[in-house]
Amino acid sequence: MTSKFIAKAIYSITLSAIIGATSSAALADPGHGKATRIGAPGKVSEAARTIEITMHDNYYEPENISVKEGETVRFIIKNAGEFVHEFNIATADMHKAHGPEMMMMVEQGVLLADKIDRDAAKKMQASMGHGMHDDPNSVLLEPGKSGEMIWRFPERADLEFACNVPGHYESGMVGQVKLSR
Amino acid sequence: MSFRFLLRAGVTGGALALLVGGVSAMAGEYSLTVDPVQIDTGKFTRQGIGYNGASPGPVLKFKEGEDVVIRVKNNLSEQTSIHWHGLILPYDQDGVPGISYAGIAPGEIFTYRFPIVQNGTYWFHSHSRFQEPDGAFGAIVIEPKKREPFRYDREYVVQLTDAHPHAGSRIMRNLKMSADYYNRKRQTIFDFFSEAREKGLSAAFDNRMMWGDMRMMPNDIEDMQGFTPLINGWSSIQNWTGQFKPGERIRLRFINSSAMTYFDIRIPGLEMTVVQADGNNVQPVAVGEFRIAVAETYDVIVQPTEDRAYAVFAESMGRTAGVRGTLAPRDGMAAEIPELRKDPRLTMADMGMDHGNMSGMDHSNMSGMAQGKVSGMDHSKMSGMAQGNMPGMDHSKMSGMAQGNMPGMDHSRMAGAAKKADSFYAAGSGLLPSAANGKKFLSYGDLKAQKPLYVEREATREIELRLTGNMERYIWSINGVKYKDAEPLRLQYGERVRFKFVNETMMTHPMHLHGMWSILDNGNGKWNPVKHTISVAPGTTVYTETEVDAPGQWAFHCHLSYHADSGMFRKVVVEGGPNAAAASPATGG
Ligand SMILES: [Cu+2]
Ligand SMILES: [Cu+2]
Repeated sequence: MTSKFIAKAIYSITLSAIIGATSSAALADPGHGKATRIGAPGKVSEAARTIEITMHDNYYEPENISVKEGETVRFIIKNAGEFVHEFNIATADMHKAHGPEMMMMVEQGVLLADKIDRDAAKKMQASMGHGMHDDPNSVLLEPGKSGEMIWRFPERADLEFACNVPGHYESGMVGQVKLSR
Repeated sequence: MSFRFLLRAGVTGGALALLVGGVSAMAGEYSLTVDPVQIDTGKFTRQGIGYNGASPGPVLKFKEGEDVVIRVKNNLSEQTSIHWHGLILPYDQDGVPGISYAGIAPGEIFTYRFPIVQNGTYWFHSHSRFQEPDGAFGAIVIEPKKREPFRYDREYVVQLTDAHPHAGSRIMRNLKMSADYYNRKRQTIFDFFSEAREKGLSAAFDNRMMWGDMRMMPNDIEDMQGFTPLINGWSSIQNWTGQFKPGERIRLRFINSSAMTYFDIRIPGLEMTVVQADGNNVQPVAVGEFRIAVAETYDVIVQPTEDRAYAVFAESMGRTAGVRGTLAPRDGMAAEIPELRKDPRLTMADMGMDHGNMSGMDHSNMSGMAQGKVSGMDHSKMSGMAQGNMPGMDHSKMSGMAQGNMPGMDHSRMAGAAKKADSFYAAGSGLLPSAANGKKFLSYGDLKAQKPLYVEREATREIELRLTGNMERYIWSINGVKYKDAEPLRLQYGERVRFKFVNETMMTHPMHLHGMWSILDNGNGKWNPVKHTISVAPGTTVYTETEVDAPGQWAFHCHLSYHADSGMFRKVVVEGGPNAAAASPATGG
């Protein structure tokens, strides 16, 4: 149940699941103790706390979050806006690098302002060999949809949660993750 | 905000709003005086007109939902008026002499009263003769009721103008005498001989005949040159400066208050995210550069991270002048002034050339002609093309890329590299811009309403407005008729009118309808953006739709001051509606 649940929470929303692709190597051993610098997917049993995140056009509520070093948090994310939004935990540099991938999805007609085109995603998968958006640290939601993510935070890191839909990060759809003891 | 700017803007405290933060204690009450002022550009000094003793006037900061009372005292020896550009208000508060009211006589006080029903960046200016080119303008910033779909730490108004050493009335006289009076780029007999050497005498001659028929020249892009562009009243040497702390998000509210000049705007080293156009939020789009038509506003967000000075550079569309301001972490820093790029040339495509006339055409100008037919084509049908290019993009080049490299790659540069067709320019147009840094140049096609104001519905009828003129005689008109000789345009309250603008001239006209929004049909359907000013490039047809929801009578005109004055202007009468009885015609004019 647990592992199934995690898989669903993480992958059902991401593009790889949408288009039926297998998860990438990065996901092969989530929670195997190999914490990256941004943390790693966690187990629901380890999550003592749930944080609800509401995504609006184009901002988050709450605007910033505080977590404890090494804490595992269950996020329930709801898109209350009229546009597609993402909840992505990463460093500022990683977000910067992620932006162009999202731009590519827009250009390929996969990511529309208010929906995700699954047929276009399949075509993109077929022609480019990958779905481009299958990271465990990200949840991409159409308007009105909800998703979950269980994340185990590292001991120390400068992290932001952000939406990398083109233009959203730049216009301020980004919040700080304050790590404390 | 720099102290110098405050002084310059003539913010005298009290009822006047401040640029950043600070809500006035006496919310809702404002006062303005219309004064003769000295304008010092660092290049020349002249008599001009300003508000509260300065040009530009103060930044008026309103709040969405408040009722404002604005007392305007005319200290000039001539009639004046103030029009609140882009504000939705009762027609008798719109400030156009002869249409909304009789104007404000010398020594008189006129009190404007209207509710603020919108938010965003706008501006105000005199609607009397050439007072606006002479300096009579200021900015309006309206704080929204609800949280905005973007966030910033600091904001600045960046109000542009094209200050000229000559007074507006003198410029008009000179233009009437000789339309190329202020065109320093006009081709000369020497250009003719060099062209003849290159292309042969007969080709050069035919080419001249062609342009002669149009009473235009390929470099008739700016018909009023010799101006000094200013940012908030400061020329390049005077260097308007906005301060920031590295890492902050800064909202820049660009307003083009020029009499005649379009500007291309960039901030070397920074990407700009456009979040608002003409006061209305748009779905954010990151660009390297954008073009601002006369009377338009664009709000962008930038995030300078380095501890250094950045240039805010506005270069005129005809590349005859530019102005640099600076964003800097400390006062007294100046960013380098970029060089002016090569001036563009109009092509046959910009003439909307008809094929029957093509025989004499010289070949060098024909590049765009294969698609030349497109120029006359329906805009609405073409709008899909901008996006249409993307799915068809060269995939083979992309698939070869190592996937690992994807995240790091500079995608925006790639997109900009292939110069995309833009259906808001004639195919093969010499005016089609590209960003100095190779990144995206904002197109009208990119503008999508963040939250549409009106539901999408079929227009009830279409009205064709051909933008016409005779450059040689400096007559500008609509459907071949000057304002003086024209009947008003009659609209019915409650209808949705589709305007078809066909630009038959070789100049770009920023068309401004007062009192009601213009929904630009840029092919984005329910997300078509609403604007108050619609730029129509030569050789193109542009459609807008207007929900006729404001009774009374309104002005509708090209916002190039000398075009409006010489006849590219109409009065619009909205018949019926809730205040039909009150909307009796004011004194003529
Ligand atoms: Cu105006
Ligand atoms: Cu005009």
